[in-house]
Amino acid sequence: MFQMTNDEDKKSTRNRYIPEIIEGDMDSIRPEVKLFYSSQGSKISDKSHNQETTDLHKCISRLHRYTPDHEKPNLCVLVTGALGGRFDHEAANINVLYLFSEMRIILLSDDCLIRLLPKTHRHELYIESSVEGPHCGLFPVGAPSTSTTTTGLKWNLSESKMRFGSMISTSNIVQSEKVTVQSDADLLWTISLRNLA
Amino acid sequence: MPLPTMTHSSAFLLPAAAPPSNDAAATTYALIVLNQRLPRFAPLVWARARLRVCADGGANRVFDGMPELLPGEDPAEVRTRYKPDVIKGDMDSIRPEVKEYYSSLGTNIVDESHDQDTTDLHKCVSFITSNLFVPDKSNLCIIVLGALGGRFDHEMGNINVLYRFSNTKIILLSDDCSIFLLPKTHSHEIHIEKSVEGPHCGLIPIGGPSTSTTTTGLRWNLDNTSMSYGGLISTSNIVDGDKVTVTSDSDLIWTISLRH
Repeated sequence: MFQMTNDEDKKSTRNRYIPEIIEGDMDSIRPEVKLFYSSQGSKISDKSHNQETTDLHKCISRLHRYTPDHEKPNLCVLVTGALGGRFDHEAANINVLYLFSEMRIILLSDDCLIRLLPKTHRHELYIESSVEGPHCGLFPVGAPSTSTTTTGLKWNLSESKMRFGSMISTSNIVQSEKVTVQSDADLLWTISLRNLA
Repeated sequence: MPLPTMTHSSAFLLPAAAPPSNDAAATTYALIVLNQRLPRFAPLVWARARLRVCADGGANRVFDGMPELLPGEDPAEVRTRYKPDVIKGDMDSIRPEVKEYYSSLGTNIVDESHDQDTTDLHKCVSFITSNLFVPDKSNLCIIVLGALGGRFDHEMGNINVLYRFSNTKIILLSDDCSIFLLPKTHSHEIHIEKSVEGPHCGLIPIGGPSTSTTTTGLRWNLDNTSMSYGGLISTSNIVDGDKVTVTSDSDLIWTISLRH
């Protein structure tokens, strides 16, 4: 965080960005970092005994457990660091979206965001064109779609089939403030993020 | 009836001094460079390839990146040495001076701006399979740099190229890992070069679920196991030996980490 802000004082920047919880198997966190945040009041949740699930899975699980059902639709989980790097990690992080499909989870990188559009719903995506777009895409990760229909894109789908090995929607363009998607398969939506420098 | 076997080797990642295995001697490599920062081993794989193709802005990355990766050498000399054979794509990313430079050195510039239906990687793979003569197609291996990371729709489009050209060996490489397709039509033997790759690996059913996958050589082997998004996928697995075998009723993406 110090590297990203213009603050002269390293300490004051760090103090402004204290995580409430640090969760995981603790094999990467540096000892002095753990000590610092612990002394600032962060709860350290050591899950090193649980090797079955990824760190992201553990964090989402916790949020899932502690959010009352009626509040879940209003909760949106933003995730940084889930994309890029080791491909198996990225694949597992994307699987977390499918495993917790009733939650709103957005994976963010410098270049784009991705979210799951579950087949159980018709989706309306409101586009903030000052910060995102125009490049977008829809991917039938996990299973093919025999029918997907969209509005608001330059190349809309109309009861179209999508499948890895055949057609998937990449390098599409948002052309409206609102994009709608309806599909018989769970789809990953992605949109590029504008350079906010 | 048993499936035919497909073997996979990453011997091309071994340093030049290492003696080539039988597989490496027989395989013809082609290289495609897409528009992302070059991984640190780019000069190594460049040397292995018989044909080097840059997709549009990939030419910028070679022009800027090769001298950076070889800081002890004269940049101008590096640039002439690492000259792509072909630059292909819609030419909307390549810098004019880069295009001019390589063109003057004899690089074949193929403008595909009229074709908006296929991705740059698709065009390059098509070009290689049509133009590079290899006596036995199963001995052609296309190495791709810059296909992973960056914009997610580009990454997905690049992975889709693996599915669309499932009869061609195509390996996507980044600084952190390597990925390729294991088509369901074959039983697979993956030879592991421990000095350069592993131990982390995974098997990912991106296109659709697998009702039955069986492996050997992994810490957590699959045994007629089902895999799917929304269920189990094999990630953070570990290669235990120097050979992994995989048989599945579904196309799978294999991934293995690269050592630093």
